[in-house]
Amino acid sequence: MSEATATKARRSSAGGARPLPGTARGRSLLKPVLLVLALVVMLALPLYVEEFWLRTGFAVFGAVVGAIGLNLLVGTTGQLSLAHAFFLAVGAVTYVFVSGESGGIGLADLSGLGLPPLLGLIAGVLLSGLAGLLFSPIAARLRGIYLGVASLGLVFIGQHVLNSWTSVTGGFNGRSAPEFSLFGFTFGNTDPDLFVLGVPFREAERLWYLGLVLALAAYLFARNLLRSRAGRALQTLRDSEVAASVMGVNVQRYKARVFLVSSMYAGLSGVMFALSIGSIAPESFGLEVSILYLAMIVLGGLGSVGGAALGAMFVSALPLIFQRYADTVPFVGGPGEGGLAAGEAARYLFGLAIILVVLFEPAGLAGLAGRFRRKARDPGGGRTTSRSSAATSSSTTSVPSDPPAQGSTT
Amino acid sequence: MSTASTAGADVRRDIPPVEIENVSVRFGAIKALSEVSFRVEPGTIHAIIGPNGAGKSTMFNVLSGVYRAAEGQVRFGDDRLDQMRPYQIAGIGVARAFQNIALSGGQSVAENLMLGRHHLTKAGFIAAGLRLPKATREGKVHGTRVAEIAEFLELGDKLHTPVGVLSYGDQKRVEVARALCTEPRLLLLDEPVAGMNAEETARMAEAIREIRSALGISVVLVEHDMGMVMSLADQVTVLDFGRRIADGTPAEVQRDPEVIRAYLGSGDEIDPAEAADAAATGHHTGHHTTETPGTPS
Repeated sequence: MSEATATKARRSSAGGARPLPGTARGRSLLKPVLLVLALVVMLALPLYVEEFWLRTGFAVFGAVVGAIGLNLLVGTTGQLSLAHAFFLAVGAVTYVFVSGESGGIGLADLSGLGLPPLLGLIAGVLLSGLAGLLFSPIAARLRGIYLGVASLGLVFIGQHVLNSWTSVTGGFNGRSAPEFSLFGFTFGNTDPDLFVLGVPFREAERLWYLGLVLALAAYLFARNLLRSRAGRALQTLRDSEVAASVMGVNVQRYKARVFLVSSMYAGLSGVMFALSIGSIAPESFGLEVSILYLAMIVLGGLGSVGGAALGAMFVSALPLIFQRYADTVPFVGGPGEGGLAAGEAARYLFGLAIILVVLFEPAGLAGLAGRFRRKARDPGGGRTTSRSSAATSSSTTSVPSDPPAQGSTT
Repeated sequence: MSTASTAGADVRRDIPPVEIENVSVRFGAIKALSEVSFRVEPGTIHAIIGPNGAGKSTMFNVLSGVYRAAEGQVRFGDDRLDQMRPYQIAGIGVARAFQNIALSGGQSVAENLMLGRHHLTKAGFIAAGLRLPKATREGKVHGTRVAEIAEFLELGDKLHTPVGVLSYGDQKRVEVARALCTEPRLLLLDEPVAGMNAEETARMAEAIREIRSALGISVVLVEHDMGMVMSLADQVTVLDFGRRIADGTPAEVQRDPEVIRAYLGSGDEIDPAEAADAAATGHHTGHHTTETPGTPS
């Protein structure tokens, strides 16, 4: 097509003359600097912060992984699932079984394969993914709330299995989770003893880094996925299944894949949960957990990876922090004293926060963050003109082509 | 077909005719289409018109695989469209723009258009999630082509704007652009100018003409705007109550007494000239106008 080449030439010249290069450079510099800064703080934190925060941090990292996974399914693809707790349980139980030792503790005779924890982790992720894949044909037949209720069935089945399959799950009382280790390096208190800058690096410190790496990897993978061909297909599938299929997306296959990926995330999150608590029990994988995960992604912002991470932070850390600082927060008393119990207060606040966020910012914490970012960039307020927004957003959206590469060619 | 070649387009060799043969579609007891047959010649603009409920959209849904025909065949060259799933039909180069815009409002124009490249690209979950070089390269190559197509439909400066904030006319153009991004051999346009003003309608008509002449592909469109249909189409098929009542050039169809009757309820006692005029504009008592008429009833 001759005019195609003509428009191409016109376009590239227009691209070369595109205004606001300073803005683009300023923005593209600011973001990496902030990211590096955040990463450095995260890496240095174990040197300065007490164990409570590191343990909370690891729990949060686990929740972040799980929430990102659920958000891929519910937020991005629009497949409502209440079964997330079940997939978490599959991951956790598999890890404990594969890497745990056989033996009898008290009443129950436990069996375990005693394999290296890394294998247990991988098996947990894979088996959970498989469970999701097996469930995905249901999603081909059901939509919306019906799919949600059908997925509820998995949680009930999961609860029954957790309570009754004692040799694997430990039954009603649960079972302790084996310490994680990687090629001989244990994520425990000793073996080897480790000091960094005079600070002893024990279990909490080590797990912090493990969590950081896993959560970061989960975050990056999901973000890349959403900006890709597959991500676009998933998002269109949410907006209109007919449109997606007419545009060439194999809807059934994509639903199966997203269930697979989402439940693999859940599996990993389940393993991290087991490591964080040090044990598993049926009550940790009940319906309430599924609902809390839904709250995380709605609160954070449906369809946003960063939002899911923020929501997970909020929901999983808040009760722990309240518990710890119960005495300093007004109206909250310690155990046995008057006033609200700490856990209760956390729940009130958390409930209130959900209502407020959904009421005032349907796009969730991610939408809130985006609004602040826009305000900071454009202090004049109001809507940016389409021209400048087009120019600036070209550095934030990776579609259709890689922004840095695009910048270098024009 | 002579009418097609006189339009001045180079008809590409790889574009077969679309043959619709005795297609029937039922919804329970209701026959939405009964034994409809027509043929879309390669490289032509073929309009399907008819009053509301005539089965035009049903026909489109059969062509794109959304509905299954109860009887009959739809052939596109050697491919049997009536036996294929929608994504497979997209894969052999049949693209569709929706009447009621089916875009992802939160995503940018570029992202919506990139969906059109879906069947031309390969990157899967793993390649995308790990940002493997081949996925990045693929995105870049296809991003260039998408930008060209956007430019062609005057969307070049809106590539990074979320679709949701665009005007209605722009969104309609994004629909058409997305269909074009699949590099179709057959383009199905479902009321591409519905709700547009006169100027936008004229621009869209011009774009459709250019698409046909530059790409040499076949275009099938459903449209209510009779002025546009009559000036744009090489061939017109008229449906009424799920049956084909006429098929021919715009001039032939306009004179067809069955068509006049369909558009006017009962045409017997009406002056034929006036009736033809009404059929042409889609209004009961309208004059020739390029403005979008209300949906004829």
